[in-house]
Amino acid sequence: MMIFKKIILPILLTFSFSVNADWQQPELSHNLTVVKKTIPASDFELQDMDEEVKKLTDYRGKVVLLNFWATWCPPCIREMPSMERLHQKVGADDFKVIAINQMEEVDDVFAFTGQLEIDPTFEILFDTTSKVSRDYAVRGLPTTYLIDKQGNIRYRAVGGREFDHEEVIKIVKQLIAE
Amino acid sequence: MQEIKYFLTKSVLFSALLAFTLAEAVAAKTSVHKNEISGLLTWTAADDGFQIELIQLLPDFIRAIYAKHNFPAEEVERAASYCVFGTILKNTSEQHMSYRVADWRYRAKDENGKYGAPLPVKTKTQWLEEWRKVGITFSWTLLPDVGEFSVGDWQQGFTTIKLPRETEFDLIYKWQLDGEMHSGTLQNLRCAPESLVESN
Repeated sequence: MMIFKKIILPILLTFSFSVNADWQQPELSHNLTVVKKTIPASDFELQDMDEEVKKLTDYRGKVVLLNFWATWCPPCIREMPSMERLHQKVGADDFKVIAINQMEEVDDVFAFTGQLEIDPTFEILFDTTSKVSRDYAVRGLPTTYLIDKQGNIRYRAVGGREFDHEEVIKIVKQLIAE
Repeated sequence: MQEIKYFLTKSVLFSALLAFTLAEAVAAKTSVHKNEISGLLTWTAADDGFQIELIQLLPDFIRAIYAKHNFPAEEVERAASYCVFGTILKNTSEQHMSYRVADWRYRAKDENGKYGAPLPVKTKTQWLEEWRKVGITFSWTLLPDVGEFSVGDWQQGFTTIKLPRETEFDLIYKWQLDGEMHSGTLQNLRCAPESLVESN
């Protein structure tokens, strides 16, 4: 059984993803939806790759892009390089990208990130029970929130996006300047 | 616009049947795309601010996904026994769009080619209730029951239809644009085969 899970299953998954390649067709837009009401972003405590506990409030005073994702989710995979490029373009002084993985193991996510076209340098946290995603009313993956320096949710995106589009960069910089 | 490609056939009868299938699909503003590598089919329909795309998925793909998430073997097989499609929904309007899977229906043809009664599509909530009873807490991959889409939003997930492999059926789907209900039908959808070998 262990051999099946560790060796055969990854091969089967890789093959299956390749023959189901049409699963990845829609183009990614850059629209972010303004959240009109003032909604404070729920705090959380989640472990990172190194099993260190991180809290959202650790980043109070910074603009945060909070992304919910999983490795089996094609649009999550497609948008992830753009999150890294956004992270690089805006810089880490006033901005933080946090990708919250849903119910997967650290080893699997580590292996997955090694295969991306750009190695992510942003924070990856593990929501092993999906409690945080429920707190944020996430119905499907990917879903992303943009949180201002005061900890309020200001923008939302359901579905994959090109996060390094100039319009998104402009919005992030506006929030930083507030 | 997506290129329409015709299914490769081995017999005149099958060619005729398929030509009929695609003619109906085009009439319903549907495009059909065949993956050159896998032979799997994708149907796309766009109308009134809503785009729906259904992608055939192989049972082994479903088995792999759920086995990877430690589902019991019998639950893996039960999920794979359904006719599962990757489903992508997009708000292509400049308005608010919403949908409820509970409003959707499918109707399959019997051996004489006649449609049966429209049946409800199994929802994510129904699956989760069943999975919860056997201790499964994993709640992703399935198309959310309800979607509330702003401009540019889209969503994807599995749609499950309780039909045998390679069965033909229609999907009647509904959505709302700024509160106004719309409806569309994807005709002559076909459940994926058990494997690619069998389909060739």
